[in-house]
Amino acid sequence: MSVPSLGRPARRVGTGLLTLLLVTWVVFLLCHLVPGDAVSVDLGEESIGHRLPPERVAELRALYHLDQPVVRQYGMWLRDIARGDLGRSFHDGRPVSEKLGARLGLTVTLNALSLALMIVLAVPLGAAAALKPGSRADRWTGAATYALYAVPVFWAGLLLQILFSVRLEWLPLFGLESPDARALGVLPRIADRGAHLVLPVLCLSYGGIAYLSRFVRANLTESLHGDAVRAARARGLSPGRLLFGHAFRQASVPMLTLAGFLLPGLVGGSVIVETVFALPGLGRMFVDAVFQRDVPVIMGLTLLSGTATLIGIVAADLLYAVFDPRVRRG
Amino acid sequence: MDTKTMSNRRLLAGAALLSIAAAACVTPPDRDDLPSVVRAGLYAEPQSLSLLGKTDRSSEIVGRLVTDSLVQYDARLDLQPMLATSWEISPDGRTVTFELRDGVRWHDGAPLTARDVVFSVEKSREPATEAKSFLAGFQDLVRVEALDDLTVRAEYSKPYADFMEAWTVPIIPEHLAGREPELLKSEFARHPVGCGPFRFVRYDPGQEIVLEANDDYWGGKPAIEGVTLQVIPDERTAYQALLRGDLHLLSVPPDIWAEAESSRDADRLGRLLFYRLTVWYIAWNQDGSHEAFTDPRVRRAMLLALDREPFAEKVLGGLGKAAATTYHPDSVWADPGIVPLPYDPDEASRLLDEAGWQDPDGDGIRERRGQSLELTLLTPASRQEISGRIAAWVQQSLAEIGVRMEIETLEFGAFLERRRSGQFDALMASLTFTPIPDQYELYHSSATEDGFNFFSFSDPEVDRLLELGRQTFDRAERETVYRELQRRLEELQPMSCLFHFASPVLHDPRLRGLQPSPIDLWRITPGPRVWSWEETEPGP
Repeated sequence: MSVPSLGRPARRVGTGLLTLLLVTWVVFLLCHLVPGDAVSVDLGEESIGHRLPPERVAELRALYHLDQPVVRQYGMWLRDIARGDLGRSFHDGRPVSEKLGARLGLTVTLNALSLALMIVLAVPLGAAAALKPGSRADRWTGAATYALYAVPVFWAGLLLQILFSVRLEWLPLFGLESPDARALGVLPRIADRGAHLVLPVLCLSYGGIAYLSRFVRANLTESLHGDAVRAARARGLSPGRLLFGHAFRQASVPMLTLAGFLLPGLVGGSVIVETVFALPGLGRMFVDAVFQRDVPVIMGLTLLSGTATLIGIVAADLLYAVFDPRVRRG
Repeated sequence: MDTKTMSNRRLLAGAALLSIAAAACVTPPDRDDLPSVVRAGLYAEPQSLSLLGKTDRSSEIVGRLVTDSLVQYDARLDLQPMLATSWEISPDGRTVTFELRDGVRWHDGAPLTARDVVFSVEKSREPATEAKSFLAGFQDLVRVEALDDLTVRAEYSKPYADFMEAWTVPIIPEHLAGREPELLKSEFARHPVGCGPFRFVRYDPGQEIVLEANDDYWGGKPAIEGVTLQVIPDERTAYQALLRGDLHLLSVPPDIWAEAESSRDADRLGRLLFYRLTVWYIAWNQDGSHEAFTDPRVRRAMLLALDREPFAEKVLGGLGKAAATTYHPDSVWADPGIVPLPYDPDEASRLLDEAGWQDPDGDGIRERRGQSLELTLLTPASRQEISGRIAAWVQQSLAEIGVRMEIETLEFGAFLERRRSGQFDALMASLTFTPIPDQYELYHSSATEDGFNFFSFSDPEVDRLLELGRQTFDRAERETVYRELQRRLEELQPMSCLFHFASPVLHDPRLRGLQPSPIDLWRITPGPRVWSWEETEPGP
């Protein structure tokens, strides 16, 4: 395979970085346009004993540079970013990089596992449906996956918890590990953590199966009816060879686009699943940060997901060239 | 960085073993043995573990468990000596001298001295510590000094009868917490050390805070071996965890309380209710932008139109009771002679007629000088649906006396901005009080700009009583002043006090010694230190 030229990806990276800059500015501006700031929004219940005289409030605002013009605050943020410093959370004073780092592992693991589960289930389902479109199996898998798609996640989570944790007591109810996990050996502890992930992963993946299997089915159906596959069929290739040797390869280009968009999904948390299962992931952190007007954390997460999106798009671009010779030749 | 990648790798490996784990199953907690540690659910993580600083409920709970203050409220809201054994107030009310308890040690073994107290007070007054209640409470403090190892003297610029409230400030060790300039960002805030009944062991963000009993506590070793605060943001999940025995203690919202009353699964749980110093109110904007609300007769009519008892019973599930004033009935300062206004729509109509708001054209809406009696009620969006239900009920009740009301719901931050700017007709929210009787910030005419009197209430007599109360140290005299104030407030109805709400708690029935108090189960003395485990009597 020949190496794709560097001009195209470099251009893509350049426009991507510009877009990222623009996105951070817009988000930063939005953070300051919404009513209230980190000092005024005290999320606890309102207590008369906590009222402060205005000069004290002003001092608190100055601590977070909230008294400066927005453009200046953004400039300060950019300057810190250039130094590799994401700043400190307004909410608890911890470094943003540390807060993100502590939760990134779990979020990526959860998303990667559910993505894997989705692919393992959806690709064969989609392929089976594509081989015999309109058959009874096709219609039933379609109906079943759409029905799953329609089930709200918080409800499914609750039902799964009641069935597997409360009634059957097979699986833990919430959290990352059991209270006594620290006393366990390495293998039992890994098993314990794994058991804690079963229900969240199920919740995260069932909805996507419908989408992904329909996507696979549509693309495979198209390429199975394309000229190349028809020619291959005329040469007497078996349906299996047709599917795996030709149809999948052709269908891979649109699937790559999809993969490019799935990458940022790996670092995007799921608020509902993380809340229902009390998991310390990025989704909960983001929502909390918005309510707390915790600008450095909001910006850190924006930067993280923005970068992941950028990488996803560029990577998909590069891979097109590998899979599709027409792109390579421009 | 290494440990992080390690734990990621562990997670991935764990994932690979999902199927094995599912087959192996995790054994549920053994229910026959008595637990040693109390596992309690928290819905929100503490903002900080600095013990002294952020004032959200979770942070305060940790602070109160890990360290002590000079004085602390008991379940009846009386201040009890803790680290201070006695105190003396100078005749002019401007100086107070505390004698400290001898022999108190920090969890690291170092002795507690008067210098730690001075340090803690000074720290609480730095804006960067963000200890809002103490920043306000020590506002008039001029000097605080250690006279010797066990004597602290504080001097104020002017006497203030409720100054002791601020001395519930958590005391932290200077030799550890004084090493870095900013307390909230310090190493200390990650590994707090106190002198309280429980020691800090560890904190897993987003998961749990582990505390163990302090065997050397000056007041005696706690009866439980420790407290683990488990962070579970979802109320349903936390409730299931309680049913399973993963948790022993949990405050629950009204819908879960109602469910637990009828559910067989919740049969074995202990229940308790307590009223906190919180009131749900409607504040009427009296800055003149809405001419109806500057008239006390109109404000009174609004409350008379509400049939509160049946609403509290049916809709609030018995978890609310009608309020009379902002002085909570469980507070020692409340005047028992003042009772909530009854439901009396006829009287309400009469008052509105008298105030000139009548309905000559018979369209169901009252007018005066060509202006209809209409208003928009502003409410903050809440996770609990209760706020919306109350608003709808108020809307319906007011329609019956010829008042048209719209409801506008805003996200909390946006709500606060609107309130600050004074752009509202009326607004509904809840407000929590401390045990002190001083409500200057709420009602004094000077508190309209920067205090809590955002509804621009102004009355010279109320101002006089509020000022007098602040200067009166004698308990009996104070009681007279504040009862007079309550009668005046009842007459003028500056805000309509709708309900006090009860906080329901579900717990493992073997956990004994829980003391409901208007402050909380946790933040009082002796509080969790005297909780204990006991076998339940065998059932019939």
